[in-house]
Amino acid sequence: MNKGKIVSIHSFRGGTGKSNTTANLAAQVAMAGKRVGVVDTDIQSPGIHVLFGLDENKMGKTMNDFLHGKATIREIGFLIGENTGNAEGRSKLAGKDLWLFPSSIRGREISQILKEGVDFNKLNEGLQNTITEFNLDYLFIDTHPGLNEETLLSIATSDILIIILRPDSQDLQGTSVTIDIARSLDVPNLLLMVNKALPKYDAAQIKKDIEAQFNAPVAGVLPLSFDMAENASSDLFSLRFPDHEWSKGLRGVAKAILAVE
Amino acid sequence: MSQDVTAQLKHTIIFNGLSDEVLSDLAQKAITRKLSKSDVLMRKGEPGDSLFLIHNGWVKIVTLDSKGDELIINKCGPGETIGEMALLDGAPRSATVIAMEDTEVLELHQDAFHDLLNRRPDVSLAIIRSYSERLRFSTTYIERAIDWSQKTAEGDYSFIDQTQPILHGAATDDDKATQLLSAFFAMVRKVKEREDGLKQQLEKLTFEIDQARRKQEFEEITSTEFYANLKEQAKALRQKRAQK
Repeated sequence: MNKGKIVSIHSFRGGTGKSNTTANLAAQVAMAGKRVGVVDTDIQSPGIHVLFGLDENKMGKTMNDFLHGKATIREIGFLIGENTGNAEGRSKLAGKDLWLFPSSIRGREISQILKEGVDFNKLNEGLQNTITEFNLDYLFIDTHPGLNEETLLSIATSDILIIILRPDSQDLQGTSVTIDIARSLDVPNLLLMVNKALPKYDAAQIKKDIEAQFNAPVAGVLPLSFDMAENASSDLFSLRFPDHEWSKGLRGVAKAILAVE
Repeated sequence: MSQDVTAQLKHTIIFNGLSDEVLSDLAQKAITRKLSKSDVLMRKGEPGDSLFLIHNGWVKIVTLDSKGDELIINKCGPGETIGEMALLDGAPRSATVIAMEDTEVLELHQDAFHDLLNRRPDVSLAIIRSYSERLRFSTTYIERAIDWSQKTAEGDYSFIDQTQPILHGAATDDDKATQLLSAFFAMVRKVKEREDGLKQQLEKLTFEIDQARRKQEFEEITSTEFYANLKEQAKALRQKRAQK
């Protein structure tokens, strides 16, 4: 039986720091000794493969090829610890069990999954096979912002859904719909993560208010950080700057993921 | 001029406890020196063996920055004294002093001072007494500053209002201990202001969700055939996982 959990990371709008958060969460869970995979379905720049230091030219076959039976999952997984380059944060992943599964690296392939008719069962089977083949404890899916059909598929198959939002009205409005959808699709574990919180707001109060509003746990309120903005696109921030407030908040979210039964 | 010199000497830390008669005697021993613009009065590192009283004109006190460029630390003019501590400890000069224009200074050499001390033990005693008072005054304020620092660290700023009047009473221009405390108070006041500002800024964020819009968007997504199928499949999947 598969014990591995599918963790989808979603945000209603772009710019919430979703890809960065996904990469750092996956890295932290791997650092905790777990076997972790990351499926990148949000190909927006800078892209999660950049955070993991992978050259697009090195990537041949993708998750799409696997789902369509054109490649084996072994051909697609990149072991990050063997490809860290000389980035200070990433190099800490050497020897850890963390694989990246690129979904689609070119723009025109974005919606190929849908066009070529990969349905829910096929996607789910593919993800479960990935978990089995690599004996994963966690498979993270970096989803597209918004609620398109591909994202709905990811949410429907998730054991844990993490919704990232900024503390502003538009994100809260969008998140309310995503939460309703997640409940409608019986997602068993829902975690919220507030990112880019301005220091002028009281983090404890934000957590309390949002939890009361949505009746869902807020696993962390992470600060808006210029250090983060400057360093985030080339390396894994929480590994490179472990003492930073953002990194501390992120480890709290990783801990919440590890605590899910 | 001798009377001016006597008054000027009385303003120095070393001599302010001495009688006019003694100061007048000392003033007699001072030698007048005339400097032209850019003349060097003393160089950093040279042994310090005299005190200078500026009679007229201006000098600049300079040091060299890390690039070797001249950095002006201070400027001194008529009535001001330079290098008074040198008479007591003879330590090397801590900076270079250069005339900024035609300047007249009175130099009181260490020898004349030592000669005075040898002749008049009561003068030595008066100087020691004056120094002790100064030291006690500084020590008292340092002790208070330690106490205030601890209070500031704990966020208790009540001492500012309670202590200000005492401080004003004791303040003189050339009193370094008081200057330090003024700077300390100015700092604490700014810290407090900043803290108050932050507290105000720590606003409560108000969230308002448009429930009608929320419901409408949810219905738009869930009313499709795709969604109906997905929901069925997801439900079956959850049941299957639960059974395992």
